Amino acid sequence: MYFTSINLGQYVPTGSFIHRLDPRAKLFSLLFIVSAVFPAKNFFILSIWTALLIALVWASKISWHIVLRDARPVFFLIAFTFIFNLFAVSLTRALFTSSRLFVLMLFAVMLPLTTAPLELADGLDALLSPLGKIGFPAHESAMMIGMALRFIPLLMQETDKIIRAQLSRGARLDQGNIFQRVKAFFPVLIPLFIIIFRRADEIALAMEARGYEGGSGRTRRRPLVWKVKDSLAVIVSALIAVILLLA
Amino acid sequence: MIEACSLSFSYNHHNNNIAGRALKDVSFFVDEGERIAILGHNGSGKSTLVKILGGLQEASEGQCLINGVNISEINFRDLRTTIGIVFQDPENQIVAAMVEDDAAFAPENQGLPSGEIQARVDDALQRVNLMHKQGSSVSALSGGEKQRLALAGVLTAHVKCLILDEATAMLDPVGRLNIERVLKELHKSGMTIIQVTHQLEPENFDDIQRVIVLSHGEIIWQGATQDFWADSEALGFDLPDEFRIKKYFDSHNINFPDYFASLNINSSHYASREDSINTPVKFVINNLSFKYDDEKLQTIKNLSASIYSGQWLSIVGRTGSGKSTLVQHLNALYKIQSGEILFDSKPLAQKGKEVYELRQKVGLVFQHPEDQLFSLTVRDELAFAPKNAGFNKHELDEAILYALECVGLEKSFLDRNPLALSGGERRLAAIASVLSAKPECIALDEPLAGLDAHYQHQILNMLTKFKNDGKTVITITHDLNAALNYSDRILILRDGSTIQEGSPDEVIKSVMQNLESGAWPDVLRISAKIHEINKNFPLLYNYEDFISCISQV
Repeated sequence: MYFTSINLGQYVPTGSFIHRLDPRAKLFSLLFIVSAVFPAKNFFILSIWTALLIALVWASKISWHIVLRDARPVFFLIAFTFIFNLFAVSLTRALFTSSRLFVLMLFAVMLPLTTAPLELADGLDALLSPLGKIGFPAHESAMMIGMALRFIPLLMQETDKIIRAQLSRGARLDQGNIFQRVKAFFPVLIPLFIIIFRRADEIALAMEARGYEGGSGRTRRRPLVWKVKDSLAVIVSALIAVILLLA
Repeated sequence: MIEACSLSFSYNHHNNNIAGRALKDVSFFVDEGERIAILGHNGSGKSTLVKILGGLQEASEGQCLINGVNISEINFRDLRTTIGIVFQDPENQIVAAMVEDDAAFAPENQGLPSGEIQARVDDALQRVNLMHKQGSSVSALSGGEKQRLALAGVLTAHVKCLILDEATAMLDPVGRLNIERVLKELHKSGMTIIQVTHQLEPENFDDIQRVIVLSHGEIIWQGATQDFWADSEALGFDLPDEFRIKKYFDSHNINFPDYFASLNINSSHYASREDSINTPVKFVINNLSFKYDDEKLQTIKNLSASIYSGQWLSIVGRTGSGKSTLVQHLNALYKIQSGEILFDSKPLAQKGKEVYELRQKVGLVFQHPEDQLFSLTVRDELAFAPKNAGFNKHELDEAILYALECVGLEKSFLDRNPLALSGGERRLAAIASVLSAKPECIALDEPLAGLDAHYQHQILNMLTKFKNDGKTVITITHDLNAALNYSDRILILRDGSTIQEGSPDEVIKSVMQNLESGAWPDVLRISAKIHEINKNFPLLYNYEDFISCISQV
């Protein structure tokens, strides 16, 4: 693959306890975790978070191989953070900041891995809906995220195919300075945009044909049901977050 | 149930002259529970008609009545529970990433209670035979399964009438048969079905009751299916071989298959014509293996084969047998992981400048190559490959004209925008954009997919001519009829390994063992049936051979 990780952000159904939690509970928990990992002060706190991450991945029954593969796109960002801190501050600082970012990203990656896209969209929809009252397009935003999760893998495949086709026509995509490279990518970008627009058109038509008229009046095959375990999950993650913040 | 009254439609509102219309005065009716086909070539106005019948587009003139009510007066929800549409590309209809979630989309839009939604999802998945994929993610489905899911996604709306817009055009023969099986059941249970297509398949003709032929936006023929075959050739539609043979049987009072049981046939003339190959070998592939990063199993396993210069090789095999991966090794898009490939007796280039030279010599046309066009004019598009190969100005102009001539497009196309061409012309332009580098060998992945008979013939003839000029042609195809009747050699792959390589006559038994009978050419299916009761009868795949064989007695 010239354009790797087609499975990026893809749901991996294993039927684990984590998978069965309400998407809203997972969103809340992630929010608590992220806001506590981000200000983590030292390696000790970070190692506790790492242990919790390991426990989470174990509970989700998803293999580390998949978790790390899905985090691959952010490796660049982590490397950048490392190098920046190495030159700007110190090696310890560089190690700390980049591993903190790494742990943070892995927690974030666990959300789409354990939550079906539609559920995730429904969860977001439910959480954002109070904003709908002040004119924020809550349902539309959630729908958009759900659709993006469905179509990103497809567009990656599409991109890969176009790159290959242009390479076989002798395109030199990996030579020259940055401007030449950007210019060399036009034969990839233009067909890609045409495909995206055409798909968008056809998808809109197909959705209309299936009776979609926006969020109002829509019901769910699996309505979100908040259970005791969801409250527990949120309380536990909130508690851990607060304790580790104060420690 | 549906009545179209003088429908006209024009995409350009300012220029509403009759000639520029996508639809002109189209009138017909469809009764409840009927199954009809609307037949037309690319650009005949079929898709526009589908949109109007489905209430997704308003007609410029005329009206469309559903159960006597004008479609524009029916409220959205009633309309959407009356008429469902399945489009060509399943990817563009599936909105959710999980199978059940997608099937539930329509009843969710209708605001039904969740128990009812689940019941409909289960029922629809059962009907399209996808119950076993219930909890899968959409990306794990094959193309045929995706299209069945798209169909289930329409059935859950409990529509009374189903419109299929070229819904099987992107599928392989087996995928098509599976859809057909579902449609037959639906029709039996009382569903009205309108199938919009560019060709009728033998598998569905006995279920389709009426045919309407659309050409340049006008209805040029309508009537019962059995009457259609008499006129089909005059209307520009090829008669499938199965019907030509049935016609022959009928006119010669041949009672199939009993007539053949005791027939004494001298089949020596047809038995395994071995083609001696006297051309040098172009590619030698030895023990090639390849595995994708993300996959557990090898896509190509210890594959060995030879590809001869100046010959046309067809690579056949089921989806996932490694055909595309193999072909993409031939111009170093995939690097050899283990094994070796010799090109003109030398190891195949793997890196550096030599790879660019290789890609000029070995052209690759991907599936749906028209999706890879990016230039403002056909001229620029054709210039891309030769420029990359370092042709000078004079060579470039000459190469562009050469490529254009190869595919049979006129010079006037050079200044046109590739996006403004018809589907078939775009395919030809895309193939020309690879030929313009003047390759010695060209490999095409499913070059005929989705085209109507006219363009299919044009491409097959073009490749024959290219081969006769001494060049090497490699095609990957699901179309066994084209593979057996046009190519010199056949390579059968299964699970990433070679099953057999040889002339069509040599491999015919292997083809039958390794590919489903639904994918066989009509002639082969019929001769295989005769062969079953009379072992003397040869396994034929060519219509003329078949007729000459049975007429000798």
